[in-house]
Amino acid sequence: MTPTTATTTTAASATDPTVPAVRLDHVSKEFNGSHAVRDLDLDIAPGEFFSLLGPSGCGKTTTLRMIGGFADPTDGAVLLSGEDVTALPPNKRNVNTVFQSYALFDHLSVADNIGFGLKRKGVPKPEIRERVGAMIDLVQLGGMAERKPRTLSGGQRQRVALARALVNRPAVLLLDEPLAALDLKLRRQMQVELKQIQREVGITFVFVTHDQDEALTMSDRVAVMNGGRVEQCGTPEDVYERPESRFVAAFMGTSNLVSGVYRDGAVRIEGGPSLPVGPRPGIGEGSVVDLSIRPEKIWLSDFEPGMPVVNGVIRETVYSGPTTTYLIELAPGVTVAALEQNTARARMEDRWEGGETVELGYDPDHCLVLGH
Amino acid sequence: MNPTAPAPLRARRRRDQRRRPVFAIAVTVVFFVLLYLPIAMVVLFSFNAQKSLTVFKGFSLRWYEAFFHDNVLLGSLGMSLEVSLVAMVGSVVLGVALALGLVRNKGRLGTYAGLIMMVPLITPEIVTGVASLLLFKGLGITLNSGTVMIAEITFSISYVTVILRSRVAALNPEVEEAAMDLGATRWQALRLVTLPALLPAILASAVLIFALVFDDFVLAYFTTGVDPQPLAVRIYSAIRFGVEPTINAVGTMMLAGSITLIGLALAIPRLFGRRGGLDLISGE
Repeated sequence: MTPTTATTTTAASATDPTVPAVRLDHVSKEFNGSHAVRDLDLDIAPGEFFSLLGPSGCGKTTTLRMIGGFADPTDGAVLLSGEDVTALPPNKRNVNTVFQSYALFDHLSVADNIGFGLKRKGVPKPEIRERVGAMIDLVQLGGMAERKPRTLSGGQRQRVALARALVNRPAVLLLDEPLAALDLKLRRQMQVELKQIQREVGITFVFVTHDQDEALTMSDRVAVMNGGRVEQCGTPEDVYERPESRFVAAFMGTSNLVSGVYRDGAVRIEGGPSLPVGPRPGIGEGSVVDLSIRPEKIWLSDFEPGMPVVNGVIRETVYSGPTTTYLIELAPGVTVAALEQNTARARMEDRWEGGETVELGYDPDHCLVLGH
Repeated sequence: MNPTAPAPLRARRRRDQRRRPVFAIAVTVVFFVLLYLPIAMVVLFSFNAQKSLTVFKGFSLRWYEAFFHDNVLLGSLGMSLEVSLVAMVGSVVLGVALALGLVRNKGRLGTYAGLIMMVPLITPEIVTGVASLLLFKGLGITLNSGTVMIAEITFSISYVTVILRSRVAALNPEVEEAAMDLGATRWQALRLVTLPALLPAILASAVLIFALVFDDFVLAYFTTGVDPQPLAVRIYSAIRFGVEPTINAVGTMMLAGSITLIGLALAIPRLFGRRGGLDLISGE
């Protein structure tokens, strides 16, 4: 933990694209002596769809609440468009939140829910009506304006919560697992819609989720959090294809982790084959490492020239419609999963049964070598 | 045993047990007769044409008429209404505030305050009455309708708090945060979002307190001045000098009023179309 003095920053223009919409400057948050968030540094650019991704208890919601003003950082500063807002209450910050529970006002109609923020700001009534109407159209709630939230479905309530926040045209919209309560089909649909709406309104979205698919689908950039720290921050492709830590590799979808000894540009599995991975600067010769490779990066046929190929024995075949997963034993007790697409081009003779010996090919670039 | 169980259930029960629970039914009947017979007598004799309290001699509204011409009783009725109204408003305001404080203060203070809050509910009312009297006398305060109001408010806060506390605990804290997120101050969030959400429970507890205070005798007896006296105290004083059937008429009207109010307290949550008020019957 590094104690920091609050940075004094001259307020910059909110429209300046070089000034981050959100900056977290060495932010920490302690609850009863334990750290929920540790020394967090983040810059979120204007107009960006930014996701905070991690398992529950990783500090992502606490981070969001500190941006919104619902939690005070123990240390560090929160800056919105260059302005230090660390000491400001939620109602003085130009951000709005879509809460996980939606937190709709049940005694007010849909239109009054959406107009709540504008009314607080003293916007003239005709303008409120106009902006609320436009927002109801944007989130496709036409004809629902006078309904009470309780009479709406989960998806509709979610749209009301979104409209209620967006209508205020905040600099940043904070979304706390807004899709978590929806069923899978509706969630997929809302993911696409949310992304479209974000592009349309051009507002910076900070999106908290524990669902890596959701983060990958929607975000411009993803920060993978664990234990109150950011493990890795980058584009969805970065964090998925090039995980920088064991945690990120494991959290971003299924990944094979194989232990071995690194020597001469290969990882040697005890009692099994040696897997060439190319030179790895920073990994000491003879050190024990974990090799990580995603199941869909393992080839079982049609190898490319120069590709390392090793032998394994099929132990299990798991057919799941569009894909089949093979569990393949490389050495006693060392099993990897390989995912094959069941496309039209996949040949029937390339399907294997348990007990068969197969060849596995892979691209060393897809291997992640993690030192202990 | 539930004699009003739906038909299929009753049928199944009969098949299972082969005989009706005669003893249970008898006990239930005796219980209700003993409970309501005296009250039924009061109602019946309030319509008696004669002054007799033992023989019914035909229907008449003369005792109701007599009541509305009795200025002392009318004065007492006015005072009781006034005391009930003030006690209702006072205890609801304080009780709601206490409920909010108890639920949101998770520390030691909240826990202890919550326990102390329950004490008036288990203290015998006569103890509270005597204590109030001694306090007022000790402070040299003249007893009048004001002292009754203060005593009744003190006694009623706990009821409001008990009713409201579970409702406050059931509120989603994110809703108040959402109001603040949308530009409301803490106070505006309370006024615009939290209190409307609690409204059914607040109204229900208000009606209950009104009925409790209006009927209350013990506290009123110890803390009232001489003239006027609350209706319940007035009736008690009158009975000591021989029972007039007017009292039956007053009793019947108080009963009707109380039943209406309690009915209202139970109906309010349903009128709002949601659970939110008293659950006296289901005990949830």
